[in-house]
Amino acid sequence: MTRALDVLQFLVLVGTAPLLSGIIGQVKARIQNRRGASVLRPYAELWKLFRKEDLIPPTASPLFRLCPVILWAATLAAAAFVPVLDTSSLLGNRGDIILLVYLLALGRFFLVQGAMDGGSSFGGMGASREAMVSTLTEAPLLLGLIAVAIVSHGTSVASIVQWTADRRLFELSSAHAFACVALVMVTIAETGRVPIDNPSTHLELTMIHEAMVLEYSGPSLALIEWASAIKLNLMLALLVALFAPWGIATSVSLPALVIAACAFLLKMTLLAVALAALESSVAKLRMYLVPEYLGMACALSVLAVVFTAFKR
Amino acid sequence: MGLVEFAAAKTLASSAVFLFITVLLIAAAKRTATCIALFAVQCAVITAQIVAMAFLHRSAEAFAVAAMVLLVKVIAIPYALLRILRRLKVSPAVTASTTPGQSVFIVAALMLLAFAVVQPYARAFALDSEMLAAATAIVLTGGFLMVSRKRALMQVIGLLVLENGIFLAALTTTFGMPFVIEMGIFFDLLVCVLLMGVFVFRIRETFEHVDVSRLRRLRG
Repeated sequence: MTRALDVLQFLVLVGTAPLLSGIIGQVKARIQNRRGASVLRPYAELWKLFRKEDLIPPTASPLFRLCPVILWAATLAAAAFVPVLDTSSLLGNRGDIILLVYLLALGRFFLVQGAMDGGSSFGGMGASREAMVSTLTEAPLLLGLIAVAIVSHGTSVASIVQWTADRRLFELSSAHAFACVALVMVTIAETGRVPIDNPSTHLELTMIHEAMVLEYSGPSLALIEWASAIKLNLMLALLVALFAPWGIATSVSLPALVIAACAFLLKMTLLAVALAALESSVAKLRMYLVPEYLGMACALSVLAVVFTAFKR
Repeated sequence: MGLVEFAAAKTLASSAVFLFITVLLIAAAKRTATCIALFAVQCAVITAQIVAMAFLHRSAEAFAVAAMVLLVKVIAIPYALLRILRRLKVSPAVTASTTPGQSVFIVAALMLLAFAVVQPYARAFALDSEMLAAATAIVLTGGFLMVSRKRALMQVIGLLVLENGIFLAALTTTFGMPFVIEMGIFFDLLVCVLLMGVFVFRIRETFEHVDVSRLRRLRG
């Protein structure tokens, strides 16, 4: 029963990823006074791309085809760590947060490889930018997660979530507050949202993610787009699980699961609306200001880790 | 335990975190107006804290102090500062000698310093170490803002932040100063801001800028 539930959670996380992107796009369109495309448009787009021909540049090596697959697989594996309905998840008790972080990093590494393999100069440019952003996000992401792990005495995602779910909001310490702010900042950078990267831009001078996937087409592009949607979904779900898990089912029973599902939907929708509002109200940072932004996240996560030592 | 008492206790327990975050945001802010708004937010957190204390200790004086903080620090001073800022007609940017990232790092270091310094004292007198550390960190940050910010108005804000820290330290260690002294301090503060406002105007009229780092020569 719990096993089936874990698989179901995993499938929900993977399956609703395009829907989340669709909702964010829809809310952004509404804020900009447009009607916007249907929230199901990302599914249609993926379907279209999967049926198309995969064009490979003549300069590319076999790695070019392999990279999107590895990225997608690594992101799927990372998604298996994140609890959605109850505190356990498919791999939540086996691996820990460090593995989760480096699974994401592995996917990123191969995306960068693929972008450089494509042979276009834009791909190389996007790859070098992505490499810079990801090196800078790694420290605050890891430190923020470690601060939470220290406070809850366990590095597995399941034990952290269980610990937080047993407590009330006011019982969380300042370490949690700092880690939360740092991880929100990192999530925005990591998933390529507006102050760092604009997911809907096609202006060559500023794009990061879009520049990397310029040479990809067909099923490969579909895998990359799906993987980045899953990554956004899993990062948001992870934030919810780590810092506001209340409502999550602590025992496997039907009413508890229904409540958990409603709470999760509500929290994710709120986050999606907040993200869309942020993207509509903030201008993208200049590339040279990105280290500044991530430096702040880093300072906050260092504070979070050190504050765990002062916990009463 | 009633709901109000519960809320009051929780407000007391968690206000230090909010104070830490406002301090970091002030260090990271890029516009003077944002700094003023954040100062008002910081004072609002302090107001909430005094109200919570007043509830728990059932003291009418503390309610009066809370009302005065609300009137003077949350409403009057930020309003006056925003007015001065508008009428000065200088660029909205905070010109600092450190970048926002560096400022956040320095303020983070100051917070840790405050925490480390406060521990033995808090243990000896059985005080809330987090609140006391927050007060000390705010004092240090106020000093840092005054040193690193170049515009005269930001130095006023730095001074106000510093004063907030001292007020908070008094509140945590001795449950506030006597009411008459408290009132005197608020009045002083208001007059102080007005005087400094006039002074900033004079600097601007004489030198046509408010950049303190360029005030190196005497001029008649």
